[in-house]
Amino acid sequence: MARERCVIIGNGPAANAAAAALRQETSDLDIMLIGEESFPHYRPHLLPAYVAGSLQKEDLFVTPASFYEECDIRIRLGQRVTHVKFDQRELVLSHKEIVPFDALIIACGGMQRIPERLQIFEELMLTLKTPADAQKWRAGLQTAETILILGGDLTSLSFAKALVSTGKRVQFILQEQSFWPLPLTPTLADEVKQRLTRSGVEVLEASRVHRLTQLSQDVIEVETDVGLMTANLVGAFYGLAPNVKFLVRSGLDVERGVLVDENLRTRFDLVYAAGDCAQIYHPALRDYWVSIGYKNALEQGKVAAQNLAGGMTTVAASPANIFCVEGVMVNTSWWMEF
Amino acid sequence: MSNTKEGAEASPIEAKTQPDEAYYSLDPADLYYVGVNVPCQNACPALTNVPAYIRCLFEGRNERSYDINRIANLFPGVLGRICSRPCETKCRHGEPELGKPVGICHIKRSAADFRDPGPPAVTALGPSVGKSVCVIGAGPAGLAAAYDLRLAGFEVTILEALPEPGGMLRYGIPEFRLPRHILAGEIQWVVDHGVALRTGVRVGRDVTLDELLNTFDAVLVAAGCYVSKPLDVPGEKLPGVYTGLRFVMDIATGAAPVLGKNVLVIGAGFTAFDCARLALRCGATNVSLCLRATEHDLRVTEEEVFETKREGVKILGLMASNRMIGANRLEAVEFLRTKPLELLPNGKRRVAPIPGSEFTVPCDAAIVAIGQGAEPLRSPGDTDPRGVLRVDAQTFRSSIPRLYAAGDYATGPTTVIEAIASGRKAAQRIAEDLGCNQTKQWAVKIQASPITDRQRSWDYIPRMEMPTLMPVQARLTSPQAEVEQGLSVDASLEESKRCYLCYLHYEIDISRCIYCRYCLDVAPRDCIKLVKSIVLNEAGAVVGYEETKIWRDVNAVVIDNSRCIRCGECVRVCPVDCISVSKVELVQRTLPCGRN
Repeated sequence: MARERCVIIGNGPAANAAAAALRQETSDLDIMLIGEESFPHYRPHLLPAYVAGSLQKEDLFVTPASFYEECDIRIRLGQRVTHVKFDQRELVLSHKEIVPFDALIIACGGMQRIPERLQIFEELMLTLKTPADAQKWRAGLQTAETILILGGDLTSLSFAKALVSTGKRVQFILQEQSFWPLPLTPTLADEVKQRLTRSGVEVLEASRVHRLTQLSQDVIEVETDVGLMTANLVGAFYGLAPNVKFLVRSGLDVERGVLVDENLRTRFDLVYAAGDCAQIYHPALRDYWVSIGYKNALEQGKVAAQNLAGGMTTVAASPANIFCVEGVMVNTSWWMEF
Repeated sequence: MSNTKEGAEASPIEAKTQPDEAYYSLDPADLYYVGVNVPCQNACPALTNVPAYIRCLFEGRNERSYDINRIANLFPGVLGRICSRPCETKCRHGEPELGKPVGICHIKRSAADFRDPGPPAVTALGPSVGKSVCVIGAGPAGLAAAYDLRLAGFEVTILEALPEPGGMLRYGIPEFRLPRHILAGEIQWVVDHGVALRTGVRVGRDVTLDELLNTFDAVLVAAGCYVSKPLDVPGEKLPGVYTGLRFVMDIATGAAPVLGKNVLVIGAGFTAFDCARLALRCGATNVSLCLRATEHDLRVTEEEVFETKREGVKILGLMASNRMIGANRLEAVEFLRTKPLELLPNGKRRVAPIPGSEFTVPCDAAIVAIGQGAEPLRSPGDTDPRGVLRVDAQTFRSSIPRLYAAGDYATGPTTVIEAIASGRKAAQRIAEDLGCNQTKQWAVKIQASPITDRQRSWDYIPRMEMPTLMPVQARLTSPQAEVEQGLSVDASLEESKRCYLCYLHYEIDISRCIYCRYCLDVAPRDCIKLVKSIVLNEAGAVVGYEETKIWRDVNAVVIDNSRCIRCGECVRVCPVDCISVSKVELVQRTLPCGRN
């Protein structure tokens, strides 16, 4: 008889923590990781340093290939899951391959969020979520002198500082509605502004971007509420949104993320969600929340695996680090460590 | 296809205008076939012949494209902007591996945009019946019924309570989605057929239903749904709480309320979205739409959701309002978190509020847009507990002879296209009941067609995006400006190329097939099948195939038209020309009474 198979969608911290924990719990399970990106498991929070040149590409990666071999975990990279058929217990990959599963852990993380009103200018902006994004920044920075950062998520703060360290002129438009995952209160806004200014970043008075226009190959004109300006590169940093669109009509409960209970269980038996893509209803908080950050993801991956193996572990909610963002509570414990 | 030729002889008029090979079939098998195989037309409550009008636009016959629409749905310029597009959800191009549905609605609008300006010619009226009908309500259902009854030879009077005709189109849909001159033009065209329109007459106040029944041979109530449903939560009567319909209607009549900066809109339908976007146009800066279920359960079109978010409206899910809080005026709304449950057959998601999960959201105003009901009308017949006239869903008849009801009034709130279809069906029923000289009949028109000129590369054309008024600030500074700008001529042409033209029927003539299987090699998907037998239903229509992989069991190579994307590759590759193409359309014919 074939071994039972647990598929883990994702190759980030939650997915890898789940795979490792699952292997610890059970030796006879066929564990398969399916990652959309072609890079091995990396630390996204190191990308700004990599772009600035203070880290090498190798420094980004966490788990060596030998780990998977030793643990008998199959890993498939550069393969995208397009939909999941829960009644048949199979998932379909973008190249039409059908992969059956007995158990499933969804740990597909988040994707770069760009506000709807700026989406038509998407091609004129760079983001920083993956090593592939980082390569684009590195290529662009070879000639760019002025860089404009829009938004104000947590990555953007360390990234702006990293750019200043390379001697570039860095301008920042902090957008109140877009600061993510934290809501930008006036006090917090002032603090962030001061910290950025101290690090050599020019924080502009503008608060809204109307239009981006490509003037020449390396000059982009930006129309804001206070006038026109130009930059060589424009970065969009509006935080992450759970990457769960492919699950919307699958029968799973999906809102911002995959809805799960405090044990990370979904509506379906033996199907769990963990990390940035999970939206958890926690009885202690009496609300849904999404957790952001590497450390939270590691913990949740582990919890999902343990519960799948028969445990009843509850994910920890740390209310002090939980903020309401666009109607969803967000756990940002990593913000404190940042 | 069945080969019945009845109907061809039945209509001498059609025979004269169609000298080619076309014949009309009433065979249930053929009617079943078009129902399954032309999904867009079948999904349209008014059964608009979608492939035909898209093809006409592609051929540059804009006037004809508009007319095909007008014949079925009366208001192409209006529907091309605000239709709920049930056709697009069924479009074969939207099946999982085939991309996005064709922009059927955008093409409809293009047909209206690109036709010669000026009203279309008035349709010839049928011989006078010498009877009169009163239609109560000049909304989509009332106008559609009035038009059909007028064409059937009746004297028609419409009584409209509000100062302008159009019903919800005029008072329920904001101007930025539907410019008033477009609406007025298409309504005028209906009136130009000799319909007597009297506005500002409210039945029950200015005239009673009994008086109307004494004056007219029949009365059709198509008064719509103008009573907002309450949330039934404490505090709903506080100043600062508005109903969606009242809010939209106040703006339509130029009496916009002062909302404040922070506005919550409670509801998930088109009206809720309209309210949220209107609130921004009234000066609110922080507008949130509060849903009981999630954004993914919305039945508003994806484009509408995107534009709404683009304007700055936040969409918040999984919250059910629990009470309205405020001393003298609304200050906040208390919600409960909800847990999504199963999907109901009507497409709505059931949710359960989670006890103990109360939270409050401060606001300056709340707009409750959770649906409407019909207004009670003092009526002699059988009514529901609220006083709304009860009618039979099939016959539109009430318990009082000669008194009918249609549209949203009869069914509860639906979409514009459903209301139009309801009005037309009711008109047909009234005409038949009163004894008219002609009747309408749906038939399947079948004619030979040359091989399609569609190219396989057209299947990969991305769906054309509707250009919208940008930057977003421009929408807020001129609140009446139409947001959707209409596809350009080139974009419309590209979009029309995307239509598979599902009214084309591909068939292999087994007596000539040499089983070379070339067609199988070029098939873009599992549309051509090796079958042992064909499964027929009672009517003789194909409902399935018994496929086989064993060559000696193969009795036929067949094209499954429900999977076929009409790319024409099989016809081009067939060495013995045994694949034929015919055009199979569901059409409505007007026949003299007693002939069918």
